[in-house]
Amino acid sequence: MTEETLCGELERRAPGQWELYRKSAESRQIETSRSLRRVLWRREEGWAARWWESGAPRFAAAAAPGALALAIPQAALLPAAGDPPPEWPSRASPMPAENPVEPPPDLFEELARAVAAASRGQARLAFLGLRRGKAAERVVNGAGLDVGQRHQTFDGVAQAIGRQGSRAHEVRLPFRWREAPEIEALARRLSDAATLPLADRPAPFAHGQWLLDPGVAAGILAALAPLFTAERPPRWMGRGRIAAPGLAIADDASGDAPFDGEGVPTRRVLLVEDGEIAGHLYDLRAATRAGTRSTGHGVRPSFRTPPSVSPRRLFFEARTPAAPEPLLASVRRGLFAAALTAPVHVDLERDRYEVEFTGISLLAGRAQGPVAGARAAGRISELLRRITGLSTDLQFFAAPFLTGAPTVLVERANFE
Amino acid sequence: MDWDETAIQRWLEPLASRPGELAEVFGESLWELTLEWRDGAVREAGLRQEEGTGARWRHAGSEQFVFVAGTEEASVREAVRALRAAAGRDTLPIRPSRAGASLPDGPPSLDQDRWPRRLSAAFARHAPRHRFRWRIRETERRVVAAGQPASVARRRLLSLEGRFTAASRPGDEERDFSFHAPDADATAAELKAALIAAGAARDRAVPALAGESDVVLAEGSAAVLFHEILAHPLEADADPSPLSALPDARVAVSELEVHDDPRRLDLFGGYERDDEGTAPRAVRLVHSGRIGSRLTDRAHAGPQGSTGHGRRAGPAEPPLPRSSNLVVAAGSATAEELLRRLGNGLWIEEFRGGSVDLAGGTFRVAFPRARRVRRGRFADEVGPGVLAGELLPALENIEPVVGRDVRVCRSLGWCARGGQVIPVQGAAPDILIRRLAVRPAL
Repeated sequence: MTEETLCGELERRAPGQWELYRKSAESRQIETSRSLRRVLWRREEGWAARWWESGAPRFAAAAAPGALALAIPQAALLPAAGDPPPEWPSRASPMPAENPVEPPPDLFEELARAVAAASRGQARLAFLGLRRGKAAERVVNGAGLDVGQRHQTFDGVAQAIGRQGSRAHEVRLPFRWREAPEIEALARRLSDAATLPLADRPAPFAHGQWLLDPGVAAGILAALAPLFTAERPPRWMGRGRIAAPGLAIADDASGDAPFDGEGVPTRRVLLVEDGEIAGHLYDLRAATRAGTRSTGHGVRPSFRTPPSVSPRRLFFEARTPAAPEPLLASVRRGLFAAALTAPVHVDLERDRYEVEFTGISLLAGRAQGPVAGARAAGRISELLRRITGLSTDLQFFAAPFLTGAPTVLVERANFE
Repeated sequence: MDWDETAIQRWLEPLASRPGELAEVFGESLWELTLEWRDGAVREAGLRQEEGTGARWRHAGSEQFVFVAGTEEASVREAVRALRAAAGRDTLPIRPSRAGASLPDGPPSLDQDRWPRRLSAAFARHAPRHRFRWRIRETERRVVAAGQPASVARRRLLSLEGRFTAASRPGDEERDFSFHAPDADATAAELKAALIAAGAARDRAVPALAGESDVVLAEGSAAVLFHEILAHPLEADADPSPLSALPDARVAVSELEVHDDPRRLDLFGGYERDDEGTAPRAVRLVHSGRIGSRLTDRAHAGPQGSTGHGRRAGPAEPPLPRSSNLVVAAGSATAEELLRRLGNGLWIEEFRGGSVDLAGGTFRVAFPRARRVRRGRFADEVGPGVLAGELLPALENIEPVVGRDVRVCRSLGWCARGGQVIPVQGAAPDILIRRLAVRPAL
């Protein structure tokens, strides 16, 4: 079974209304804990077909072209309601040259020392999984598209345990490095997240200013991402300005990959500009339904599922960012959220958020002491409008998609 | 999967020549049908077929793992060859596959017609406005391990997850719904009954108040709590674990009997062979109120061997000791008696997820709604909220009145740990626990 045969079968079933996707990936991973060192090598291949047959969308995926050929006629039998096919992109771009994937370095001992130093001995590294991977993707469709692209990743997960007397706290953080390992930054995040919850103190204020570590701010932004992809945004978003003046939110993955999972070129999309809605993210189908063009946000987390609209590299931008130190100095009375202690919860329809975090209480720009756990809750619209400061220390985090944020100052929040 | 098991055993022999070495090959063939329903119509339909081979060698504190796509002979050879090279053993020669790249068997009958028809009728009647994802997954898993007989296990699992609009007394409201079950004759009727119950009219919920509360975990929902506070801490690789240092210690009332039982094939987490080829056995987690045994795989087995809890999300992952079906034995109390004993507190019938911090010995489980109980009578609707606490005090605060009817918790279906998601489930009677921390949630 060849790619040409599959394309021919799809063209026969859905003339001009089909897409064939192929992904091959290889990764090398080292997982280290105190009791086990595990080395993993994976080589994966996946094929996916999407086509409009009798006016309805169909999808089939398999690990090999022969299996996909078997799955396509079966998928065609499934019930599905009619939906207009998208306006398919058409362009050609050859597959770039391949690079070998190197095993990741073994950094357990180095990170363990950095965690111990950052926490003054209160936290220890329990587990580190590091992975280097590469993937090649190719998309062809019935409109003549034939594009290929390659990615390289360097990511992992680290687990640390903080101890103070008889109390302990465990934390597990995923991370993604661009090129070189960022040991010190990861050690600091692990140390804060593992040791701050061991403090006795609850939040000393019921409300006040709220300074967000980049990781916490990125977690909140990732939770709000459906605002920029939903077909029907919630009603409260239609009331003019949704965020503070000077605040911008953009999505730009053009430095990571030239195309999205549907073969549409990647481009920068400004979503919020000067506090007002300025754009929206579309994949091919969402764009067809909205009567517009795809913004290059058809995302395939794997070959196993059809592409769907999602941010790819979402981040806060400020017109006039400040250095982190003046931002900290400007906090009269409030809390610094150093790490999340639970996933961020949002109810976009009802305009509500809830963030559980651990951090440090601040008075006149100075640290007063650790806060074991606090909960900030309120209206999303108020939270966005009360952002009065963004720092220059933009950092990216591995959420389901890359999300970037600097240190963020919220002028007022309610704490429990 | 048409494997020459004798040949694979031979390929694995050099990897298990020293005492304590484990070597195995695991293959999976999977068919999965997914339908995305929205307001009575299937908006997306998809079919997935995957085959993959994972090979593992483990000795003392070192493990090598290889995954390659496909399950034909060439894939198995490639995986074992890479493993032997990584373990420093003689390499397996490259030979052309005798049969060449074989096609997978045709798809099993996934009931492409029967289930959509049934669901369509059930949704139209009981939840006409909805957004559901329905999946039926059939897997065949094969294990060839050095020095062990080969095994094969097949499962077919159904999952329905999403939200629907329920007509309620104060007006329409959105409710979450999830149902996970093995495909069986009675599954459709059970799903319909669950939909009807989930769509029942309710009063407007008032926010949960923060503080301590006594709670009854009803309708099998106690399985979710025990999954977090007993099953995870007793997985053999749980380190640190607040329970692993307490073998045979009394932690709860003697009326409490809790097992992890993979042999319950009527439950979502059941299987006939685990993912290392071991026939599973039920493990007592709490016996007469005392901490029982740990859930082991081959790598963490004691003198009696693995308990058959070596599980993996798929062939691309190495096996880990994981829980399966959490089953709590029945007591003798009626629901009325439990209500009376509760007095004032919360009556919770459903959880929507939970987590445990093993190092800290704490847990949290989130409930979408509850009924407040005042003086032994049902009062207003409350929720959503979070129950939180410490493992050992929560176990100590279980009352010796255990419900007499054990109910399956079909909303408990998937458990994620370390990025690996596996099917689990549980069944439990009503359980009364004193003084748990409650707080409101979104």
